[in-house]
Amino acid sequence: MTEPPHEILSLEGVSKVYRSGEFGVTALDKATLHIHGGEIVAVMGPSGSGKTTLLTVAGALLRPTEGTVRICGIDVTHLDESRLAAVRRQKVGFVYQSFNLLEALTAIENVRVVVQNGSHNGRAQAMSRAVDLLHMFGLSHRLNSLPKRMSDGEKQRVAIARALAKDPDLILADEPTANLDAKRGQEVMHLLQQKAQELHKAVVVVSHDNRIRQFAHRVLWLEDGRLRDHG
Amino acid sequence: MLLVARKNLFSEKIRLGISVGGVALSVFLIGILLALFRGWSQQVGSYVERVPADGWLVSEGTTDFVAAASVVPVSAESLLHSTPEVESVSPLIVRPMVMRREQDPFDKTFDVQLVGYDPTKRLGGPLAVEEGSKSPPGPDEIIVDKEMSKRHGIQIGDRLFRGGKSLTVVGISRGGDFVYTQVAFVTLETAIKFLDQPQDKRTFMLVTLKDPSKFDTLAVRVSAYTSDAQLVRGADFANETRDRILGNILPILIVVLVVAFIVGISVAGLTIYTATVEKQREYGILKAEGFTNPFLYRVVFEQSVVTGILGFAVGAGMTVLVAPFAQDTVPQFVVFVRWQDVVGIAGATLLMALFAAWIPVRRMASIDPVTVFKG
Repeated sequence: MTEPPHEILSLEGVSKVYRSGEFGVTALDKATLHIHGGEIVAVMGPSGSGKTTLLTVAGALLRPTEGTVRICGIDVTHLDESRLAAVRRQKVGFVYQSFNLLEALTAIENVRVVVQNGSHNGRAQAMSRAVDLLHMFGLSHRLNSLPKRMSDGEKQRVAIARALAKDPDLILADEPTANLDAKRGQEVMHLLQQKAQELHKAVVVVSHDNRIRQFAHRVLWLEDGRLRDHG
Repeated sequence: MLLVARKNLFSEKIRLGISVGGVALSVFLIGILLALFRGWSQQVGSYVERVPADGWLVSEGTTDFVAAASVVPVSAESLLHSTPEVESVSPLIVRPMVMRREQDPFDKTFDVQLVGYDPTKRLGGPLAVEEGSKSPPGPDEIIVDKEMSKRHGIQIGDRLFRGGKSLTVVGISRGGDFVYTQVAFVTLETAIKFLDQPQDKRTFMLVTLKDPSKFDTLAVRVSAYTSDAQLVRGADFANETRDRILGNILPILIVVLVVAFIVGISVAGLTIYTATVEKQREYGILKAEGFTNPFLYRVVFEQSVVTGILGFAVGAGMTVLVAPFAQDTVPQFVVFVRWQDVVGIAGATLLMALFAAWIPVRRMASIDPVTVFKG
């Protein structure tokens, strides 16, 4: 008998209001979302709809104004900075639109530095895990390349390898195909889907790109801070 | 060293060069000025310190050897001899003046601190004669300091003029360099004749005691005898002489040292700060990935401290290389490097590095990881 997939991310009535003096802008309005391991959820919507806010709240980077956020059962809503950092370190991996690799570090170092952070892995162990991950993403020939020497597709694959480096339960991807051509975008999404399912990770992909739909189990629509099912 | 710190620091070689160069320049400036100050301190007090006298009898108000406006009566010698504490008394005539070599043009002169001493007592004469066989010098003869000989090309056999009178160089001694002037020795008789000095006046009386612990007793006795003269301890006289010469330089030196220190902090601080601002997005990424503020502070501090260490190594190396060369080229450039100063400069460099990291660290604390999702 297979175990029921456990809940990785839970948002209950989450709102986020940005205040400036007397005025407030509601970026997220009572959003509710539950995601389980192995599930890929695409969140789509127009610019300024609150997608990035949703991602940063879900990633324990931003505290909600209202509601509850749980990551792997941990209520992160009221945690202090150091505990939030610990949750991010252990449970969350990020994939960014502009890759966000550290420019002075080679591919293997970009992954290794994340593996080593907060873990008891020694340098050799971290190195070995970084090599395995990059190998998994077909980057064995790029281990010692600096980001500036890599194509955008390669950079995004390194970024995904980095997101998986600390073996997080939750992967949050912000427009991961926005800076890639159609072919590279498809490749990257296919890879993300494949690895997320193999490794049983929960994935939230925020995007404008309609082609993302085909890789998602669920598609949600976000507009004016309100989240709803989109078939 | 943390991987991120090492890579960030060494991937920008020009920036690192500027940063290390700034610290190195500062260390070099601090090092060379301190070495110069130590060198001068050692040099200018040397003669007075090494004259083996327990005390100097000087005119009331005279504090040091170089501003030798002291006049004591020759009768003081016998008076001192009559006291039970005194072992020996040796009069000195000291006069600062300018002289020239016979073969040089009239405007090519140099400073001399002429010392006339009693050759029968030897006290106050040349500390060590390096060249020439005649010590004490004979009538109308002079022994010059080695530094004076080097700077002005004075050789044994040269005649040195003041006005229409001359003295013949018969020896070269060492230990009498006051940086801006040097001592030269003649006998008391020659000094009286050469300077048209009154027969009954001397500049100082050097005094040795049977029991040096009785110095205060003798000093009180001297004060009781006369209000025109006082007995000063040899060590105090040497220190006052040193202070007279270096006291005016010291405040300037301190200002330059502070400026050098600020330059070091500014260059290192600015380069590290701009590097931090430039990498602010990357630090935001690390924060998003769960790296804590202390880790990021460590990245900045390590970069700053390594910059400081490299700057110190280059600056100290420059000081060691340049100092002897400068000393050979400019005779007044007397340097002496003390290990305590090297340790002090290392400490100052560390302080520089810590200060330089302070503002970038504050900047880093304020980086919001959410910003990495923008653009």
